[in-house]
Amino acid sequence: MHAPEQVTDACRASPSGCRRARALAVFGGTALLLALAHAAAAADPDPPTGLADPAALRATVYGTPPQDIAPLPQTVPLQEIDIRLPWARPLPKVLWFDARLRCWFSAQDKPAPLAIVIAGTGSDGNTAKLALLRAVLYADGYHVLTMPSPTFPGFIAAASSTGVAGDLVQDSQDLYHAAAAIIAHLPKRVRITDVDILGYSLGGAHAAVVKALDAKEGTLRIRRAVMINPPVSLFDSMRRLDRLFTRSIGDGAQGLDALYRRVYVRLANYFRAADQVRIEDANLMAAAGAVLRTDQDFQAAVALTFRIALVNVFYAGDLYAGTGVVTDPAHPPQPGDSTDAVVQKLFGMTFDDYFERVFLPYYLAHKGGATRESLLAESRLQVIGDTLRASPDYYVLTNSDDLILDPQELQWLRTTFVGRIKVYDHGGHLGNLGERDQMEDLRRMLAGQWAGDAP
Amino acid sequence: MRVLRLAPLLLALALAGCATGEFSMRTLPPDTPAADNAAAVKQALAQRQALTQAHGAPATLPPDVGPPLTAAEVPSLATYDPWERVNRFTYRFNARFDQWVFLPVADTYRRLPAPVRGGVHNFFGNLSEVVSTLNYGAQLRLGPGGRSLGRFVINSTLGIGGLFDVATLWHIPAAPTGFGQTLARWGVHPGPYFVMPLLGPSSARDGFGWVTDFGTNYAINILNLYRGTAGWALTPLNAVDIRSNTSFRYYSTGSPFEYDTVRFLLVRKTLIQDDALRLWQRRGDPPGGAPAGE
Repeated sequence: MHAPEQVTDACRASPSGCRRARALAVFGGTALLLALAHAAAAADPDPPTGLADPAALRATVYGTPPQDIAPLPQTVPLQEIDIRLPWARPLPKVLWFDARLRCWFSAQDKPAPLAIVIAGTGSDGNTAKLALLRAVLYADGYHVLTMPSPTFPGFIAAASSTGVAGDLVQDSQDLYHAAAAIIAHLPKRVRITDVDILGYSLGGAHAAVVKALDAKEGTLRIRRAVMINPPVSLFDSMRRLDRLFTRSIGDGAQGLDALYRRVYVRLANYFRAADQVRIEDANLMAAAGAVLRTDQDFQAAVALTFRIALVNVFYAGDLYAGTGVVTDPAHPPQPGDSTDAVVQKLFGMTFDDYFERVFLPYYLAHKGGATRESLLAESRLQVIGDTLRASPDYYVLTNSDDLILDPQELQWLRTTFVGRIKVYDHGGHLGNLGERDQMEDLRRMLAGQWAGDAP
Repeated sequence: MRVLRLAPLLLALALAGCATGEFSMRTLPPDTPAADNAAAVKQALAQRQALTQAHGAPATLPPDVGPPLTAAEVPSLATYDPWERVNRFTYRFNARFDQWVFLPVADTYRRLPAPVRGGVHNFFGNLSEVVSTLNYGAQLRLGPGGRSLGRFVINSTLGIGGLFDVATLWHIPAAPTGFGQTLARWGVHPGPYFVMPLLGPSSARDGFGWVTDFGTNYAINILNLYRGTAGWALTPLNAVDIRSNTSFRYYSTGSPFEYDTVRFLLVRKTLIQDDALRLWQRRGDPPGGAPAGE
């Protein structure tokens, strides 16, 4: 998040000043939020309520060390795509800026396969993690289309046929149709030979379901799907995160206020004590280090990141479903209204609140024959379990210490994707994304040349 | 002349037309992953040291800066925003202006060869040294003021009127300052959150500072660049240069709470920066180091 005029002041002077100003702007007052930016890119990490592995937590928040990243190309061309989708629901006034779905595209200038890449929970279609995958895939000869998560507010408003995010199959259906619409609109000079799909975190689950839907509908004829650190049960994972929030931050407003004060004090004193007066990116990272010290701090960063994503999903869902939990259906909110009260209310809301008060009422009323149990079942990867087990074209890359999987879930992945799964020893949730070995495995999986996990 | 003045606007409207349909593609500057990662590797080394220090001895303050900040001194989680309704309106206006005018023009501008754009960028950077020098003077910070003045002299002469940033090559990097910081230096509180038309989120103090700096340039009117025809041409060019070098996008979060998020971050950033700046000033600018706060 940068404030433009802060950045521009320094941009006027020099590129280095520009970088510094951006660093300062990103810095934005709290390195908590810097750390959150990392964690946000990590999407929906989900430490179990038991003892989370400290190394896995840190890997999750900090991400892959840059020196371990696979070789990257010098430049990758980039275009921004905006598309209006006819099935989107009428746009609420407060989401006026989300009329069109925004995706990013990198085209090869020769016939090439297309890789569609889906972001994790709450993320837009141009995160740092997507950019990393884009670079690797582009260098490997793919056209690359990166898309936001169906839980990103811009997607909910512009591309969801319900406005109520969280149904794995329904969200994937919207994602599938959006991808097909974009591909149909691409200029003729973009020649696509094959289509592959992949995603990280929740986006991995979406990628697999999109391929399964395509196997029935056949619009895109998707060849292979690779899931990177996918969840197995969406709702169970989210419930665990709620418990993590309570444990590491506390309940509601008081817990948040205490966390805010703790972080602010550490940060202000870090800058009071700093010898160098110049604030550069490196110092910024050190500031984040000064703020996040204990396991509890890292857990708080992860839990808060998730809660911020939930705040958006909850608000949009309540607005579209008309369930009246935080918005009044009779008096829809206006763009000029203060949102202080509603934000405060939303930060106290858990995923269970969302499920019970928004998601369930909406889907019970709008999905014929749906029951509580059927909706819960459809939030699990097992909903396409038979396909995943039988088809040779689904692959998984994950870590044995991934925070969002419990041992049973990891075991389910191992037994479902026999010969099509690679489990690395370390990395937490997405903390090894882009590593040399992982990217080599990804390449081979996408090309159908993966020889299986070395013993 | 009048037609010339309208040309960018007409161009913007024509381009904006492309963005209203059901599908549009906009070319962005290419990603540069290899260089970005190389820079990250370099930083990671520095970071490792800094992290060790941060974990080893957190917040041991030098004796001359007083006791550390305590939890009781932390500003409230709620932000002081008495002009909220107007601010929100301006934020929306800025977002629309950005979408319909600023970005299309900046996209077109980016098609010019990089050396040309670089020259324009350096030129405006050089002009801003005048205001920086004056403000450093007003802040009684003669070291950084001298550096700004030196940069201006070097770049105006050897850099051919500021088109080349020779001073940075000589390891005298830019460190612009403005009247907002001068006010901060003399203890003026940022005041209410304030979203400036076209320029974006700020504070009452820094917004006033910006206007003052603009007025100072107008009053000095160096080389007669700020008034008359030259002024009409240069001010928009300056704006386009700034916009095409800024990656910020309104509503890239897609969130209905973006206003709240930006406000929260910006206000805390300003307060922490002010706090650090105040102490650094008590300790004086370090010899040879860049001036504080920029």
